[in-house]
Amino acid sequence: MSKIIGAVEIGTSCAKALVGEVTEGKSLNIVGKSVRKNEGMRKGEIVDFRKVASSVHAALEEAEKMSGTTVDSVYLAQTGAHIKGSFLRGSANVASPDGRVSVDDLQTAANEAKRKQPASGRSYVHHVRMPIQLDGRSVEDPVGMIGKKVELIYWSIEGDESAIRMNLDLAHNYGLEVADLILSSIASSTMVAGPDLRRAGVLVIDLGAGVTDLALYRNGNVAYTGVIPVGGDHLTGDLSMGLRVLEPYAEELKLEYGKAQSDPSDADQQLWIIGNKTIGDRKVPRKTMTDIIHVRVVELFEIISKELGDLLDTSELGAGVLLTGGASRLPGIEQLASKVLGVPVTKANFPSGLGNELAQPENSTVLGLLHYGLEDHGLPGEQHKAVSSGFIKKLGGLIGI
Amino acid sequence: MNTNQETFFETNDNSNLNNNSFGIRAKVIGVGGAGISLVDGLRFDNFDFVDNLIIDVDIKAVADSLASQKLTFGRRHTRGMGTGGDVNLGKRLAEEEKDKIRKELEGVDLVFLLAGLGGGVGGGAAPVVARLAREHGALVFAFTPLPFSWEKTRHAQAEECLSELRKHANAVIPLPNDSLLQMGGEDSTALECFAEAGRNVSRGIAAICNIVFKKGMIDVDFSYLRKVFSGRGGRTLFGYGKGSGKEGLREALRDLLVCPMLHMPDVSKAADILLIFIQGGTSLSMSGLQSVSKEIRDSFKAGEDVVFGAHVDENLGEEVKITILGVTSLDPLVPTADVAPVAQQVLELGKNAKQSHRSKLEITNTSPEKTSSMATRKKRGRNIDNKEQNTFFFMEAENQRGIFDDLPSRNMYEGEDLDVPSYLRRGVKIVI
Ligand SMILES: Nc1nc2c(ncn2[C@@H]2O[C@H](COP(=O)(O)OP(=O)(O)OP(=O)(O)O)[C@@H](O)[C@H]2O)c(=O)[nH]1
Ligand SMILES: Nc1ncnc2c1ncn2[C@@H]1O[C@H](COP(=O)(O)OP(=O)(O)OP(=O)(O)O)[C@@H](O)[C@H]1O
Ligand SMILES: [Mg+2]
Ligand SMILES: [Mg+2]
Repeated sequence: MSKIIGAVEIGTSCAKALVGEVTEGKSLNIVGKSVRKNEGMRKGEIVDFRKVASSVHAALEEAEKMSGTTVDSVYLAQTGAHIKGSFLRGSANVASPDGRVSVDDLQTAANEAKRKQPASGRSYVHHVRMPIQLDGRSVEDPVGMIGKKVELIYWSIEGDESAIRMNLDLAHNYGLEVADLILSSIASSTMVAGPDLRRAGVLVIDLGAGVTDLALYRNGNVAYTGVIPVGGDHLTGDLSMGLRVLEPYAEELKLEYGKAQSDPSDADQQLWIIGNKTIGDRKVPRKTMTDIIHVRVVELFEIISKELGDLLDTSELGAGVLLTGGASRLPGIEQLASKVLGVPVTKANFPSGLGNELAQPENSTVLGLLHYGLEDHGLPGEQHKAVSSGFIKKLGGLIGI
Repeated sequence: MNTNQETFFETNDNSNLNNNSFGIRAKVIGVGGAGISLVDGLRFDNFDFVDNLIIDVDIKAVADSLASQKLTFGRRHTRGMGTGGDVNLGKRLAEEEKDKIRKELEGVDLVFLLAGLGGGVGGGAAPVVARLAREHGALVFAFTPLPFSWEKTRHAQAEECLSELRKHANAVIPLPNDSLLQMGGEDSTALECFAEAGRNVSRGIAAICNIVFKKGMIDVDFSYLRKVFSGRGGRTLFGYGKGSGKEGLREALRDLLVCPMLHMPDVSKAADILLIFIQGGTSLSMSGLQSVSKEIRDSFKAGEDVVFGAHVDENLGEEVKITILGVTSLDPLVPTADVAPVAQQVLELGKNAKQSHRSKLEITNTSPEKTSSMATRKKRGRNIDNKEQNTFFFMEAENQRGIFDDLPSRNMYEGEDLDVPSYLRRGVKIVI
């Protein structure tokens, strides 16, 4: 027997849908995939609901068709500049007279941590739990252990209620349940930074079309997440204005010739803006094009550096910085990022076993959704949704199409 | 006399030279330090009928100017010094002495208002002068330098002043220093940038004055200009191009289309109202003008409200010059939203943003230009049936806006709008 589950990232440039089949053999098999151009979004936020709906629904339909099944529920990615994260804490004294921690104690602590409601107009996206503290020590599962006080800490992520609602509505309107709303940066890092890297300390930067998603891990736990409303579209926009060419041509030029840092070979190279040398076509210096991209990329990483402040500490980032997302394809971006951040930066890899078609930087988020969603993040003693339906305990591996 | 210039090629008889612009009074008014230096820098040889007036609270700045008419105000409060960038003070003082200013506006039909919106007087008093001039029945065109991005507080302040000025003037052409710096050579300085602002102001004023006051191949009279530009102006576009030789006119058109002034943030891509002025040597032909003017109108999606002028200037020889000025009109019935000062909004948001790790990412409210594009779309859609209207809006949205132009909020970070190209904000020269 197997269970079918979907994942959807409504990205600024493309809506991406996956259909996964979880078999009792504990492995996840991706059986459907689709990417559809999305024109109704800017910087990770919906500006034209109907346009977005039609591309999301087309993507889902195609992915389902390819899989030969239908999905009932999906994991949905959430991003946008309105998203903010902060730590929430709650604790409980061990109630039982014998001093042993019970599931109820954990629940009490969890409720206390989560009792603070977001401001009006805001709502929670999700809570990422840190290891449980029993009298100041980290323990995986304290139930049954002897102690006085349990403490729970969550990295709690909240965002603009109406933006989140619109995101959810896109799934609901297709008749889908949302199994979980997952922060895009956390989904991406789950995919490209395994437990070892997270323990060593790692910063994952997902450079999308509209936004740049950040997630920082220390000692295996989330220490910070953030969203910067600058992405590949800004490179395109800057090129369009600077080279005075229409946006579609600017995008093509970027994909074909873009790089983060100019080199001597650019000096006297000229590029045709349209490429067919017809009327209206003209040449622009490659050096100019590279310069336009360069200042934007430098600025983006300077902002990242300012946002992270002291968190950007080489000694705590054993695994360095990983770049993913479509815009991380830009040649030379990792060297430039490293220069600005002062920390080693590499382009992220995917775990082996995924097919070539899936193991691409723009797929990090949507793949990570399935991965994160199917992992058990509940409290000890709590029923995991996927577990409760009798399918998996811990996910063994992820297998591509 | 032609009241609608739609037919300017068909009715190319001498009637449109029969100009009723005689007796029209035009005045260039410089407000504040930047405004004064722009007035002093103007080069007009044959425009003795255009008066020059400068207005400031700064006695020394006024005294040093070459302008023929001068007005100081607010002396009791600033003891003859500047306001030190205080827009509210500049505005208050102008309001207090508005009768003095009104006197200078009596009988004036056409005002060219020049003011640096980053200054206390330029930013605060210029909108008042514009309002008073309109109350006197004048048509007001404003050319306004905007501060560099790195003049952080001034920059935010200037945006507020710009939207204030747009409530009163018929057309406001912003001259952002960031963008002007791009136009100089590799190592141009702020001074060079002011000189570039000056050249643009001269071009704009000359184009309008030539069309209205001078005789040429194709002209309009002032009443037509006034009729066309009578509304409250929204976003504008301003550009120029030149060419020479046999294909001079075409070359000028190509040059116009890549004019850097047309490729800056916040420049409109379409014009409800468009003024086109073409100057050339004796080779200027009617058929050439006809096709080029059509291409220009198509490129900027101009409607019926076109002011077109063409003059032969033998001194130009083989050379051809085109200047255009366009405005998206605001529906006068659409009330302008009161926009709180950007800086204030950032502060207010900052207070509520509770985070364990402080971020400088803030979202600010409605951009001052939003009303203009919305009104434009409304206006353009008016005569079109519903289905067509949707596709039309769709195209508009694609065309009219720079890449992030349609968003209701600015992308502010440490006082800079991240949606504006980095190279502009960082003063990095782009050579194409
Ligand atoms: N284009 C141009 N801009 C200028 C010039 N001088 C100053 N500016 C800009 O205008 C702003 C300063 O305005 P000023 O005109 O000096 O100030 P003001 O209006 O006299 O007001 P005060 O604050 O009272 O001095 C700055 O943001 C400068 O960037 C100039 O000569 N040309
Ligand atoms: N070779 C390349 N060089 C530069 N940019 C590239 C390259 N390939 C793709 N991109 C950019 O990557 C972006 C798309 O990435 P991705 O699919 O990760 O974004 P998204 O998920 O749609 O958007 P977001 O996550 O911001 O909402 C586009 O801006 C595209 O131009
Ligand atoms: Mg993405
Ligand atoms: Mg001054």
